[in-house]
Order: sequence, then C-alpha cells, then structure tokens
Amino acid sequence: MTKKLLGYVGLGVLAIVLQKFLDDYAAINAVSPQLVILFVIYVALREGQLFGACNGFVIGFFQDLLVTHFLGFTSFVAVIAGFVAGFFYKENDVELAAKNLGFVWISAIALFVSELAALPIIASGELNYFNVFLKFTVGTTVYTSVFATVIVFINGRRVRYV
Amino acid sequence: MFKWLSEFYRLSKNYIVFALLLSFSFFLISVNNNVHTRGLQTVGLLTTSYLENLVRSVTDYFSLSSRNADLERENAQLIDLTAKIRRALIENDQLRAMLKFRDKTSAPLTPANVIGRSTEGGKSLLTLDVGGNDNVHVGDPVVSGSGLVGNVIVASGNFCLVRTLFDGDSRIAARLTTAAADGIVIAGKFGELAMKNISRRYVVGKGDVVETSALSTLVPAGIVIGFVSRTADETGNIFKEVDVQPAVDLSSISAVFVMQYARPTEAVDLEKTR
Repeated sequence: MTKKLLGYVGLGVLAIVLQKFLDDYAAINAVSPQLVILFVIYVALREGQLFGACNGFVIGFFQDLLVTHFLGFTSFVAVIAGFVAGFFYKENDVELAAKNLGFVWISAIALFVSELAALPIIASGELNYFNVFLKFTVGTTVYTSVFATVIVFINGRRVRYV
Repeated sequence: MFKWLSEFYRLSKNYIVFALLLSFSFFLISVNNNVHTRGLQTVGLLTTSYLENLVRSVTDYFSLSSRNADLERENAQLIDLTAKIRRALIENDQLRAMLKFRDKTSAPLTPANVIGRSTEGGKSLLTLDVGGNDNVHVGDPVVSGSGLVGNVIVASGNFCLVRTLFDGDSRIAARLTTAAADGIVIAGKFGELAMKNISRRYVVGKGDVVETSALSTLVPAGIVIGFVSRTADETGNIFKEVDVQPAVDLSSISAVFVMQYARPTEAVDLEKTR
C-alpha cells in the first residue's frame, strides 16, 4: 500500500509540473488541458470515491499553492471531479483507468460537472455567464477530453505491446 | 442511537467526507485575501519561482546552440553594418575633399563614380560611369579630393577607361615643391610610385610634396601626386632614387572628377614652331 501511495505521490508531483508546462505552452485562449484533474479521475477510478475525493483535495491544494496561487479553487474542482469519477469505480475493472475510451467519457462527465460547479467562482464579476460557460466549462472539458484520448491511446498501446 | 449513527456513517461516509472537503475548499477560497494565508501563498510563490528558475536554467542549457547560432548571425550582420559604416565614412571623407578641390580649381569638372578596377599584367585601370556624352575626352586628367588619379585613355558614349599612376605605362611630369626639381613619376614597387630624373645635387627630404609639373602636357600644374617616402643616392648614378607615397588610395576610391583640361593653344602653337 505504501508503495502504491508513493507511486501516486510521484504521479501527482509529475502531474503538477506538467500542468504548469501545459498552462504555459498549451493554453488556447487561457484554456488549458487539466492534467491534474485527469490524474484525480484516474486515481478515483482505481481506488474509489472516497480516496478519489481526498486525493483531489490534497493535489488540488498543492496545485493552488504552487501554480495557481488561488487557494481552494483547484481543491474544490478536484474534489468534485474525484467524487463524480468515483461513481464509476469498479473494484475489478482496472482497464477503465486510462486504458480504454470509457476513461475519456468518464473524464468528460466528471470535468463537466466539476467545471460547472466552479462556474460561479470563475465567472464572478463577469456579465456574460454564457460566454464564460462556453469558454471555461465546455472549452476545458473538450480540450481535456482530447488530451485524455491521447493518454488512453498511448497507455493502451503500451499495455498491448509490453 | 450509537448503532444508528454508526450505520448512518457507514452508508453516507463518502457524502460526509465529500461535504467536509468541499466546505474546507470554500473556506480556503474565502480566506485567500486573509493576512494569515498570505504567508502560505508567499511560500508557494517562492517555491514555484525557485523551481521555475531551475527548469529555466536547464532549458537555457539546451537552447544554447540555437542562441549561439542567433548570436553568430547577429555578429555577421553587425560586421556587415560596421563595414558599411566604415565605407560610408571613407566615402564621406573623399567627397568632402572633392568639394574642397572643386572650390580651389577653375577647370570644369565632371563628377564620376568608379564602377570597375583592373590591375592585371602591370596595368592599373579604372572604369568610370561618364563618357563622351558627358564631355569627357581622351587625355583628360582624373583627380580625387586627395590628388591625381590618372588620365582617360579610352572614352565611349557613357563610360571611360582611366590609366592610373600605378599603371606600368604611366609617365607624369612632376615637381618636388621643396627642392623645386622636376622629374617623371612612374609606377614603383609595392603600391608606391617612383620619381625619376632628380639630380643628386638637390636636397630631398622625407615628406616632401610631389605635385604635377607645369612642364606636363597632360595635366595642369599643382595637383598633388604624393609625398616622398624614401630617398637614396646610388654610387655611379647621377640621379637620386626617390620613392613616393601616393596621395590617393586607389583601393578605396569610389568617386572622382574628370577635369576638362587643354594646354593653352598659344603655348602649343609656339612649341610647334620650334
């Protein structure tokens, strides 16, 4: 268990570092793929709803502390994403975790719900909620889902040939 | 009661933890601008800055070759620019000297650009972008602001060819201004000129000015040719050896004047009667 936990910590740190790079170099009109949230969903699908939500809070906290510098925001989104993804947790179905296209659908649903929940925070002070919804909720969901598809494709190939 | 509570927790554990985590996230959002969380945010900011600095130094290392290529390109451009500036400065000096020369002389002058150079087989020729259409004739002297360049030997409608002082066939009657001695200036060794027929009885010093002589039928008198750079008396030779440093640097010359010069007809006629 400790080994697994350390593995998640390592993956989490890597996700935060990569997220920073994605925010800097892959952002399209301030929308970037949410790799940290994908990691939270991945963990929730492997370990369950409770672990997923707690992991979401912890990694979200560090993401806010080190990258966004807006404490609580990513924690909020990641807790919801982990919790929603946890509904799809099946104890004996490891394949679902980033190895087939089901992961993309689950990611899209969890992301959409979490980003929608965060909409009032993102859009505070904005007059046009619909634009913010389209840009951040839909945009982030679509962009991250495309990213998730790439991860599934790479991960699936790796598993098949190893 | 406890059993009921324990059963409730077992069934709704996930929701309770979820609600707690969300509440704590909201709490963090609400205290973002609080003085107590500023310290935490500062620590995060400093950590990120340190890590970014570390990453940047690594990426900088890998981008060194492309930066080096950029700098080499920039260096080449700067060298080119410096050469252009230097050329412009030299041209500026030449043009200023030419303006002064124009103010001093009374002979009509035709400005021309040097468009070609040839120094093969002992020849030293310049091509100018003026010709017969600009009233340029064979024999006309060519001068720059610094002094004599040579004489026109061929002229077409729009171009002419100039034999410079460094040409093996060039012979110009010249005069040492200090010694008041006349001689002939011809091409010398290693980019210098030589003055011939100067008797050993004259006192000639280094730096003496050599200019065109009034005896010349090709050029008017008083145009600077150069300066004495070396003199020597050889045993058994009645003439001095005089080397002349030319006043004009032919390698950098870009603009000249073609003088419309003709010897006074009365003097020419008189010479014919002899």
